[in-house]
Amino acid sequence: MITKTRKSLLASLMLVGTLFIGTSVYAAEAAKEVAKDIVLKDDAKCTRCHDEADAPELLRIGKTKHGTRADSRTPTCTNCHGDSKAHADHSGATTPPKTDLNFGKKSNAPASARNEACLTCHQKDSSRHLWAGSIHETRDVACTSCHNIHGGHDKVRSKKTQPEVCFTCHKQQRIEANKPSHHPMLEGKVACSDCHNSHGSAGPKLMKRDSVVDTCYTCHMEKRGPFVHNHEPVNEDCGNCHNPHGTTAENLLKVRVPFLCHQCHTPHGGFIPQLRGAQVTAPTAAGNAKGTTNVTQGRACMNCHTQVHGSNNPAATNPTPQFMLR
Amino acid sequence: MKTMSNKFGFRQHLLALAIAAAFAPAAQAEGDDVAEFTQPSSSVSVGLGGLTGDKKSRSIYGQYNGMRQDDAIGLVDVDVVRRDENTGTWTTIQGSNLGLDNREISVGVEKQGDWKIGVGYDEITHREIRTINTANTGVGTTTPTVIRVATPGTGQDYDLKLRRQGTTLIGEKWLSPSLLFEFNFKNEDKDGARLSGKGYDCANYVCGPTPALTGAASTAYAAANLKNAILMQAEPVNTNTKQLDMKLAYSSEKFNGQIGYYGSVFRNSNGSVNMTLADNFLYGGNGTTLNPLYPAVAGGTSLRNVLQMPFSLPPDNQAHQLFAAGTYAFTKTTKATFKYAFTHATQDDSFAGTGVSAGAPAGVSSLGGELNTNLLQVGVTSKPLPKLTLNANIRYEDKEDKTPKYLYNVENALIWYNADISSKRLNGKLEASYQLPENFRATVGVDYKEIEREVPTNILVDRLAGISVIRAKNEELNYRAELSRMMSETLTGSIGYSTGNRRGSDWTSLSGTTPIYGQVFPSTSFTNANFPLSMADVDREKWKLSANWTPLEKLSIQFIVENGTDKNVTAGSPTSTWGRGFRKNGNQLYSLDLAYGLTDNWELTGFVSMGKQSLDINHSTYMLMLDNESEIVGLGIKGKVTPRIDVGANAVYLNDNTHYGLQATPGSTVANQNQAIVGLPDVSYRQTSLSLYGNYALDKHSNLRLDLIHQDYRLKEWTWSNNGTPFVFSDGTSVTMNPNQHVTFLGLTYIYKWQ
Repeated sequence: MITKTRKSLLASLMLVGTLFIGTSVYAAEAAKEVAKDIVLKDDAKCTRCHDEADAPELLRIGKTKHGTRADSRTPTCTNCHGDSKAHADHSGATTPPKTDLNFGKKSNAPASARNEACLTCHQKDSSRHLWAGSIHETRDVACTSCHNIHGGHDKVRSKKTQPEVCFTCHKQQRIEANKPSHHPMLEGKVACSDCHNSHGSAGPKLMKRDSVVDTCYTCHMEKRGPFVHNHEPVNEDCGNCHNPHGTTAENLLKVRVPFLCHQCHTPHGGFIPQLRGAQVTAPTAAGNAKGTTNVTQGRACMNCHTQVHGSNNPAATNPTPQFMLR
Repeated sequence: MKTMSNKFGFRQHLLALAIAAAFAPAAQAEGDDVAEFTQPSSSVSVGLGGLTGDKKSRSIYGQYNGMRQDDAIGLVDVDVVRRDENTGTWTTIQGSNLGLDNREISVGVEKQGDWKIGVGYDEITHREIRTINTANTGVGTTTPTVIRVATPGTGQDYDLKLRRQGTTLIGEKWLSPSLLFEFNFKNEDKDGARLSGKGYDCANYVCGPTPALTGAASTAYAAANLKNAILMQAEPVNTNTKQLDMKLAYSSEKFNGQIGYYGSVFRNSNGSVNMTLADNFLYGGNGTTLNPLYPAVAGGTSLRNVLQMPFSLPPDNQAHQLFAAGTYAFTKTTKATFKYAFTHATQDDSFAGTGVSAGAPAGVSSLGGELNTNLLQVGVTSKPLPKLTLNANIRYEDKEDKTPKYLYNVENALIWYNADISSKRLNGKLEASYQLPENFRATVGVDYKEIEREVPTNILVDRLAGISVIRAKNEELNYRAELSRMMSETLTGSIGYSTGNRRGSDWTSLSGTTPIYGQVFPSTSFTNANFPLSMADVDREKWKLSANWTPLEKLSIQFIVENGTDKNVTAGSPTSTWGRGFRKNGNQLYSLDLAYGLTDNWELTGFVSMGKQSLDINHSTYMLMLDNESEIVGLGIKGKVTPRIDVGANAVYLNDNTHYGLQATPGSTVANQNQAIVGLPDVSYRQTSLSLYGNYALDKHSNLRLDLIHQDYRLKEWTWSNNGTPFVFSDGTSVTMNPNQHVTFLGLTYIYKWQ
């Protein structure tokens, strides 16, 4: 006969056993759960290790277009990183071998190989049709040099944070963007990609349109003309006079007027630039207006030659507008 | 015993339940944790901000960010992103700066891989950083009236601004797995006024009198009348632009291409400005003498009449472009790209409609402007050997000016046609890159640029105003070489050098009334000529050194040095009679960036860059030697103080100084030599920015964010004022700006996030 004590002990053992079995069953169930896809179709092979406990930042790809499972085109990990059998099958405490293709700073894969993974899908994008042979491509800039795929927020695709990415390489523009006369890049209203197509272009300097002037006209169409009286450097290249990234001189001019103009135009006779209150020879009321502070201060040459981008005034009466006076 | 066994049994149950219960909460939390990382998130933030200082102390800070006018502002941002996991349909509602006048908002729906439609509204106001003080009325309209202000600075203040309001409609649809249709339509209104001017210095043949006075009579007349005036004129802006981009893109294994249309239309509601000069007496010189404007005299027209002539504003114009572009992969390693585009641009705005028809050539009602441009670009890139990459590209652009020619130009007795602005451009590039042993890579390249312009062939009717010489053709050839090396996984570097020159065809002199063509320099025909910057013979040289180093897992350093020079070699010595205009420029850049992860939770970043630019220009009476130096230093730190609190700070300091060295040409007058000694002060700009933020997580969904930004600006320039002496327009109008500006912004924002 089983004593009460033994009964109690047996019951306890049964209970513990039940718990143990239950736990084991649960563990087995849990193990099966760990093996499930977390973000992308067929990602279980990778996310059994790279899960939310190990590398949550990698899972943020789920927040992006690359994480949309309902789109049949959406790649899985191995589409970009390769099958990586050696990496996936590794066990033990030692560092696993790298994936077939990795994209980080220490990647030893050539930029062209890394880019090929992206271009498999994205070569179709119309904005990338001229990527082959473009300056970023020939300079071995990888897609992941600018784009953050796993992070959930790709800084370069937001106007507010894009300049910071471009400044990584383009330091001169970082200085210029902080100068008082500037396009509102740091204010988050104009991005580098509003003027440049970093993926390739038929225009110079990766201009978004086919030329510098055509790109500038998209926002400054009043300068397009043609005019009755054209100013030819304006038609050739806005960069002849302007630095669109930022200047200390007003209106994004590379050099203050009159010095800017004196690079092409003969002066109005002999004079030295001078300022009100610092003139060796006091000017007279009826004096030569072209030889005094009028050509140095204010708008300088443009105090009179206002229509520097061109004038559509057809008046053929003196003084005619071909001197951009009206 | 009974009690003990019962007690033991109960405790076991409790323990078992406790153990069993321990897993359940963990299992539930795991699902939420994953969703936090994998599902799109949305947020709404609402807050208030306050600013110190007045409008004039915030003019540089508030140029674009809508924070100049008001001391207290609403901070509202919306970022709603939803994704239907079953269909892959995204819905986004995004708005930023909704409480400011640089707000933008967009709404979009996209079934990924199928279609997309979105609409957006975008606004920005650009505020002139300087304040105009004037007694004029109708400032910024098409009919301003000039009224003299007796004492500069006692008129009314005007802060000019230009506001853009744009609406955008975008869409795309996959017509088949390989055919995509995209469109983008933008409509933008721009209104406001910008600082501009109008002036004239009477030429005898315009203002008279005729016959011209001589001797004492002439002197007395000039002394009694003001022969020149410059006035502030705020250009009124009321324009609309419309742009439509449409593309059909095709993709296949070997070929990816597109055909498309890009059309743009510009409309200006204002045709011209007609200024009225109310006063008979205007300031002259330093403001100590009042003189009447040159009155109308026999044979001439008064200075008032000249200044009251219609001032033409930008005319309506439009352009339509058809294009095709694409890339073809001959093999996996050889690809070709191409683009062809034809653009038809016209400008036929009615002269009468814009109020400038008076004096137009007989029978001509509009310019009838027409420019047709053909563009063809072809490129090939190939890897014929595993270690060799070749790249070739050619671009040809032919712009044909079909605008009718009429005798628009008059100067005294000379009459000539409007200029032909046709041009042809050819650009070519050839590059080879080879992977050498020891991880070296060598790249060599040649770049070619050519431009052909129309130049007058009969100077009697085909002149160009304002320049002394022109050149029909320029050709530029540049050679470059670069060596880069990946020295280790953590260290890469490169050094590059390029050299080239620009030359061209013979010059055409425009300085006299007798045509002189095709003269090879030097020639007496070119005495006193200024060979334009964009056409002169130039020698170029540039080198660049860069290195990227990651000495520690958490530390990365980037170093760049650049140096370049351009020299005008058209003429000999800088001060010779044939050496006017641009002489040479130089450009140097030094930059160091670092990023350091202090701990897993803290990161430090810093950078310092210095740029130097120099420019020499020969005016003829003086040589300008301009030297600009800019330094920028930045330091940033961000990290987590506690699991709920993260903070960050950024400091940026920029110092920019431009020195204007003046040297009078030997043989100048004593007055000029003394004025050159007085010289021009340096122009300097200094900006210090400090921004701090703190984020406190109230709970899983809510944050409170505090922002503190302080900015100092100092702009010392002489454009509008020198050492307390203002530059004053002839009517007493002045333009001022607070040269030392300080602003502090404090903002508190509540952010709610969800998924």
